[in-house]
Amino acid sequence: MIPASREVRCGLDWPHRASLGVALMMAVSGSAWAYTATLTPASPKAVYLQVGNGTFAGATNCMGSGSDCYSSGGTPVNNATVNTVSVTLPVAAVGNGTAQAMTTNSTAADSFWDGYAFCTVPAQLYIGGFYRTTGPATAAAQVTATVPAALTDGTGGTIPFSQIKWTSGGNGDTAANGFLPEVFPGGTFVNGGVQTVGSMASNTWNESCWSFSYLNTAVPGAGNYSGSVLYTMTSP
Amino acid sequence: MSPLKRSPFFLALAFGIIWAPAAHAKSTTIDDSGSAAIEPSVLMRWKTAVPTRTAAGKLMVGTTTIRVRINVMPWLKHSGRIYLALPAQQPGPISLSWTTQGRFLPGQLVSGNRVLVYAGRITTPFMEDTLLFQFSVDGALMRRAVPVTYHFEMDEE
Repeated sequence: MIPASREVRCGLDWPHRASLGVALMMAVSGSAWAYTATLTPASPKAVYLQVGNGTFAGATNCMGSGSDCYSSGGTPVNNATVNTVSVTLPVAAVGNGTAQAMTTNSTAADSFWDGYAFCTVPAQLYIGGFYRTTGPATAAAQVTATVPAALTDGTGGTIPFSQIKWTSGGNGDTAANGFLPEVFPGGTFVNGGVQTVGSMASNTWNESCWSFSYLNTAVPGAGNYSGSVLYTMTSP
Repeated sequence: MSPLKRSPFFLALAFGIIWAPAAHAKSTTIDDSGSAAIEPSVLMRWKTAVPTRTAAGKLMVGTTTIRVRINVMPWLKHSGRIYLALPAQQPGPISLSWTTQGRFLPGQLVSGNRVLVYAGRITTPFMEDTLLFQFSVDGALMRRAVPVTYHFEMDEE
């Protein structure tokens, strides 16, 4: 048994009659006897980022959806899946300037916060996460995308990554409920480099649904073009 | 000085005389030097592992068990009311709830207040119980370890 730290105590004996007057004066001042407990933050900082599919441990069955999520007690674990977003163009449409909607192989549709039917798959890609820290609000954690210069077909053909853009949304996201503007807004990829794609204020869950499209203003040769974008979260 | 100008002064003084003793008279901090904590510090963790989509969900909670032993010998064979007091202090608003083994009453309070834990005749020189405390603090206030002080008070009847 370990005694907690204490304030300095004045005197060894509990009041004799002769010293009662003095003791009462001390008591009125409010500090003669007191117990001090030290509240210590334990493992306070945490970050989590999910783009596409994610995995939560625990039988959570969020809101009866069958999905796992945090608010029902799920714990996130690493998921190494790299989801794809793709589109197949008919020859006649190549380079005609009409943007082509892309689809994803991600199956993440429900919010990983509470299981709410948030994204529409395969049209949208889920992105979500949080940044936990104690103390006053800090600068937001940044989410960046490291983008190659171009998609390649393996035989020398390229398509600039700037041919791909995305819009951001989510079922139920309105200004009235405070979910707009989206924390992961729409944008267009740069042609090689690191670009910021969103930020997370501390101690809030952040999520959006991205709808990608191919701008279709380039005229590459026929082929299968691909490239990988790496999303990184950096906390203060 | 006109009577009209003097009246507020006397009114205020009268309230002071009447109210001050009611708030503080015969309220004595009790010797709790026989108490001991099972854990040396209270580890504060997020109440929920996940934050919400708004700014809520920032509460941190921590529990500790205290073997309380207070010296009530000065009030032996008298009746009194014992309060658990949590003064207003840094880092800011603190909520405290506790359960007991039955000698004292369970309860909860917010810093800056006190709550009754015993009322009645004092029949033994010492009163003992094991209390399980739960502290709750806004995580925004918990940048580092902070000492939180509380004490027991006796109001004699």
